[in-house]
Formats: sequence, structure tokens, C-alpha cells
Amino acid sequence: MIVESLYALMAPFSLLAVVIGTVSGVLVGGMPGLTATMAVALLIPVTFALEPLTGLLLMGGVYCGAMYGGSIPAILLRTPGTPAAVATALEGYPMTQKGQGGLALKVSVIASFVGGTFSALVLLLVAPILAKFALTFGPPEYFLLALVGLAGIVSMADDGSSLIKALISGLIGLILAVVGTDPMSGMLRYTLNIPDLFDGIAFMPALIGLFSISQMLELTGTGSIVADTSVITQIKREPMPKGLGKFIGTGSLVGTIVGILPGEGATIAAFLSYNVARQRSKNKDLFGKGNPEGIAAAEAGNNGCVGGSLIPTLTLGIPGNSVAAALLGGLLVHGLIPGPELFTKHGVMTYAFILSLFLANIVFLMTGLFMAPYFARISLTPTSLLIPVVCLFSVLGSYAMNNSILDISVALICGIAAVFLHKTGFSLGALILGLILGPIAETGFAQALIMGHGSYSIFFNRPQSLSLWFIIFLLLIPPVYQSIKRYRSRPETEVPCTET
Amino acid sequence: MRKVMTLLLALSLALPLSLSSAFAGEYPSKPIKIIVPSKAGGSTDASARLFIKAAKNYWPHAKFVIKNVPGSGGQKGFEEIAKAKKDGHTIGMVFTTQIVAHVVSKRARYTLDSFHVMGNVMQDPLIVAVPTKSPITDMAGFVKAAKAGSLTTAVNGIGSDDFVAAKMLERQTGITLNLLPTKGSTEQKAMILGGHVDACIMNITQLHGQHKAGTARIIAILDANRSDILPDVKTAVEQGFPVNMTATRGFVAPAGVDKKILAKLDALLADVQKDEAFLAECKKDVLCLLPMSGEEYLAYLQDLQAETQVFYDQNPW
Repeated sequence: MIVESLYALMAPFSLLAVVIGTVSGVLVGGMPGLTATMAVALLIPVTFALEPLTGLLLMGGVYCGAMYGGSIPAILLRTPGTPAAVATALEGYPMTQKGQGGLALKVSVIASFVGGTFSALVLLLVAPILAKFALTFGPPEYFLLALVGLAGIVSMADDGSSLIKALISGLIGLILAVVGTDPMSGMLRYTLNIPDLFDGIAFMPALIGLFSISQMLELTGTGSIVADTSVITQIKREPMPKGLGKFIGTGSLVGTIVGILPGEGATIAAFLSYNVARQRSKNKDLFGKGNPEGIAAAEAGNNGCVGGSLIPTLTLGIPGNSVAAALLGGLLVHGLIPGPELFTKHGVMTYAFILSLFLANIVFLMTGLFMAPYFARISLTPTSLLIPVVCLFSVLGSYAMNNSILDISVALICGIAAVFLHKTGFSLGALILGLILGPIAETGFAQALIMGHGSYSIFFNRPQSLSLWFIIFLLLIPPVYQSIKRYRSRPETEVPCTET
Repeated sequence: MRKVMTLLLALSLALPLSLSSAFAGEYPSKPIKIIVPSKAGGSTDASARLFIKAAKNYWPHAKFVIKNVPGSGGQKGFEEIAKAKKDGHTIGMVFTTQIVAHVVSKRARYTLDSFHVMGNVMQDPLIVAVPTKSPITDMAGFVKAAKAGSLTTAVNGIGSDDFVAAKMLERQTGITLNLLPTKGSTEQKAMILGGHVDACIMNITQLHGQHKAGTARIIAILDANRSDILPDVKTAVEQGFPVNMTATRGFVAPAGVDKKILAKLDALLADVQKDEAFLAECKKDVLCLLPMSGEEYLAYLQDLQAETQVFYDQNPW
């Protein structure tokens, strides 16, 4: 069957579909405001007119490409094209400022490739077994998983801002996440009777404001992103830093596992693997100041999600995230119902689709490596040109998400607020983490209590829960210990920690 | 020179104006906008696109465009239809129970009177499903188990069709379910397949694949008739529990549009409801049909609103 699938995939029309899908995916991912979900949803009507396989290949290509594409503006401009690239921006942008943008892009494309290929391999070989594992995760586990993510706030403390400030930032994020409809009772909370706020503060506009717009505001007054333009000429021949393999591996593994869990997205995967990398790194001090290890882990993480998220989608019909949900819609339109039949009766098509993911990864690897030096020049663009263009896309992107004018205001307010927060040493990464994970933690907590008929023991009497508790402690102990040690050893620096 | 330019400018401005006014007498004089209060790619969106495809056969000169207005459980879109210009060039889709639930919970800035109801097209009956490992195989067993100990039952959010169906079931049988609100069908599927809940109430098109694949068990359809999608599953009525609940998807226009235009639109919908190609496409896409005329659908919506009001008064959200 695999041979037949390969044959179907090697048809010129199929190959073309993969290439076009992947390249346009990279572009979509690269624009702030346009996301992979949107691109796949827009493609569904197009696929009506195509052969089912061609349509699937196109969507798969877009998915793979967009996951990688998001990292390009994240690294060069600190304006993540997709939410999943926020962690990449934390490390990539400082590298660009140092004139290492080309290198950062190279690290990101290679990590993305490895992560994507690894997860596609997992999808090809052990999908059904892992799908069963995904199902063992219920509300208590999702609550704990959100806590694992929130533990990342603590480790964001060691870059300049103090632990307290990172915690405050995270708390602001959590408070903002409270706005909207109560997931359990359906009551409205702090919505000011504006229907646009009933679904909560839209995440993408907030992200665009916090990163893109604030970044453009901060850039006003400088000539270009790279202060010293003489260093940028050397980047082409700069070798890959050694020892990244470990972090790419971690990222791929974490990304694939998080991807498999229904409902958990690439954003969380990227943040989790970034956080794990931070704990395991020997160069902890470099994090937040441009550490390629962070990029490697985050990018391998969000691309690892691609294959992972397709596992429950194809085997059980439960989409692993919103992109996979749109893809599932595309499958159903052609009468392909997820389940064992997909791998037997329609096996040729399914395996051709899985194999095409490998191809898509190769396509964006080539595109990325070839284009990196040219992309890197973006950071040399004069800010007088860059700022209006990026702002235009930011406003357009915030509006396009939900066709909502209010979202533009959300983006602008977040942008201005972010400038002040950033200048005073509060961590924007922690804030975003709170905003993303708040609703997941809240829903998981409340649902688990309903499931357990009001008893808290449900968080402790399941094996998955216990292992998650263990991970939380592993992640929390070292940063807290370090923070205390630092506090004791240098008491004189502890008072004026406002500016670097 | 300047005079010539001014003249040209004036002409160029006036020309499209005169053209459009020349055709103002004929309807439709410009593209008809269909507001879809959900995301592109969903089943409501698919219904609207199939409608357009069929409608073009009857109105060959008309153009249709879809505007997706997702958010707040459809409320944003419903409000946009109600507020639209009353020239017949904007119509829209509504779905239950959300359209009436927003009115009942006093959040909506519209009422049913804000619309001219054109008619219903699709439906998606609700089902009761249990995990495959569950000992429950039919409704009698479900009610018995629910009386013995509170069954945790996953529904979509409060005020949704799943929620109203669960409340109807509770009232009909005298049981009390431990209702677990979720963010949608994806979460419900994961919970039922993973055995984290005892049962779930959701739409048939969301779970029929899993039932066929043997990863979940549908024990009853809450509809008057069995479904073509799963002919072997008995209705709740057949099993002695007369609870009917379905999600409907129909078309409305803003109230106050010229009566002649409304008559034309109603006739178009009636034609599409009977169109052979349209019926065949719906079947292929696993969309269940429930054709209702404007009057029938309005009566249905009013009844549903009254019923939802009762549940809201007992336990507001």
C-alpha cells in the first residue's frame, strides 16, 4: 500500500500541490494576523473542485509551511506571524539585534525540519497506539498541563526582570483571560455588554499588540533594527552552533506529545519545549538575550505539533488543534470519515498524505535555507519604511481574525501598554502565557471538579495526574532555588532592579 | 483645461450613480449578501454555499456573496442581520437554539420580530451517546442508571441545543444529570472516547463516524424519525421517551423589507428546498434536511423560545 501511495504522491500534479501549499503556507505564516487555521479554512471551498488527494496535499503543505513561516518575522522583527512563534521571538530577535539574524533563521529552519519530520514519522509508524494515550487525558490532566505551562513564568524571571515582576506579568495575563463568558455557568464577566467581548479578549489581536505594535513603537527613533550594520556581512558563512541536537530532540519530543493531546496547540508546545530547554541548558544566562538553543527547542516544538495533532484527527476524528479541525472538515467533505477505515479502505490516500508531510518539510527546508540570507536583509530595512508596513499588517491582521473593529482597539491598547511594561522590566512572555493558559486551566479545573462530583481527590488519584505533578515540581524547583540563591548572595542588587 | 478635468471628474462620478439608479426598479440590482454567523468551513457555512450554488439555477443573473460573522455563539451575526439595510440585498442564516437563547438571556439586541423568517433548510438532530465500555445500551438503561447515581453528561455550553435537550430529558424522565459544560464537540468527543464522562448529548453529524467506527455508542436519536445516516439507531420516542430536539439552520431577512421582494426571496428558498442537485449534494456532505416554510419555522422558533424561557427562569445563566 505504501508503494501505491508513493506512486500517487509522485504524480506531477500532487508534487505541485505540495510545493505550492508549502510555499504559500510559509508566506501565510509569515504575515502577522494570518494564521494556518485561517489558510486551511479558506482552502476548503477550493478543494471541493479538486481531487480529494490533491486537496489534502495542499492543506497539509499549508499547515507545515505556516508553522515554520511564523518564525521568520518573529526572529527578524519580534512580530510573531503565528502565536506559536512567540517563544522563538524571545530568543530570535535579540540575535537579530546582534547581527546574527541569518544564523537564527538557519537554526529555526533546521529545527523546524527535524521537529516536523520526527512527528510525521511518529504519525506514520505508531499513530493508533498514541491516539489511545491521548484519550487518557481528561479535564484534571488538562488543568495540570496548563500548570506545567504556567510554571514557565517562573523561569522567565531570570532575564533581567525579577521573579516578582514575572509573576505579576503572568497574573495580569490570567486576569485578562477572565474577561468573557464563564465556561461553566454561562454568566458574563467584565464584558461591558460588548458582544465582541463575550468570547473573551481575542488572543491574536492581543498578541499582535503586545509584540508587533509595541515593537514598532519602540523602534521609532532608531535607524534600523541592527545598530551596527558592519557585523551583518559576516553572517553568511557563520557555522551552526554546536550542541543544538539535544534541544532540537527535546523540542521534537515535547511538540509531538503535546500535539497529540486534543485541544492543545502548537503555542503551548513551543512554550513548553522552550521552557524545558531553558532548564536543561548549560548557558542559562544567555536565555532571553539571544540563545540559539531556545530557538531550536521552540521551533522543533511547534513543528512537532503538526504530525502529533494529526494522530487523533486521522485515527479518532478528534482534531488535535484548530488547524487539524479545519483539515478534518476537508476530509469529511470528501466522505473520508476518520477511523480505522481511513488506514485500510482509503489507505492509499491516507498514507500518501502522511508521506507528503515529509516532502513538505523538505520543501520548506530548502526554501528556508535558500532564502535565509535574503530574509535577513529585512532587518536592515530603514525603520521609516518598516514601521508603516508592519503596522498596516498588524491592524489588518487584528481586524481580519473576527471581522471586529473592537479587536483593532485591543491591539492598539495592548501595544501601548506593552511598551510601558517592557520598559519597566515586566515580562511580556509571562503575560502571554497567562492569557493563553488561563482559560485552559480554569475550564480544566471546573470540569474536573464536576467530574469528581466536587471532590479534589480527582487531581491526585489518576496516574497521568501524578506524573504531571512530578513534572511541575521538576520545573519549579531549580528556578526558585536559583532565585533564592541569587537573592542571598547579592543583596545589594536586589533593591534597584527596575532597569537593566 | 481645468474645466475639462472638472467635467470629466463630475461625469465619472455621475455615471455609476445614474447606472445604478437606472436599475433600482429591478430586484436584485446588486449582489445579495448572505450573513453567516459562524466561521468559514463549518456546517452552517457549507449550507449557505450549497444554497448559493442551487439558487444560481433559479436566479441566473443574481450574484451572492457570503459574509462570515463568527463570535459570541452567533449573536454578532444575528445582530448584523437584524440591523442590515432593508432593501432585500442582505439576508442571513440563523441556527437554533442560539438564536432564541440570546433573546431569553436578555443579551440579544434583537427579537424574533426583527426578522422576516424565510424558512428552514437543515437540521442536525441531537443524540445521546455513551462510551463503548459503558453497560448502558438503551434509553431505559440510561434512565435507570441516572436514577441510581448521578450520571456525568457532557454538553456544549450553557444555553446550547445540547443543554436544552438535556434539560428536556431531565424534565421528561424526572432524573437529574451531572451536566458538564464543554467548549464544543471536539472536547465532548475526546471525553466520550476516553471514558471520562458517563454520557454526552451532542449532534448526530458530530459523532456518527465514531459510532460507525465502534469507538462510541449512540443509544438514541432525539428526533421523531430515525436518521438516514444511522438507520439502525432507535429514536428516543420509539424507546418510550418522547423527547425531540434538533438543531435547525434556516434563512431570514431583516424585518421591514418590501413585501414583493420578500415574496421573491421566499419563493427562491422554496425552489432550492426542492432542487434535486441540492438534495444530492446535501446527502453527500452528510447534512440532514428539514424543509420548513417561513410560517412553520417562525412557529417553531416561537415555541422553542417559550420552552427555553422556562429553563432559563428555573436556572438562569
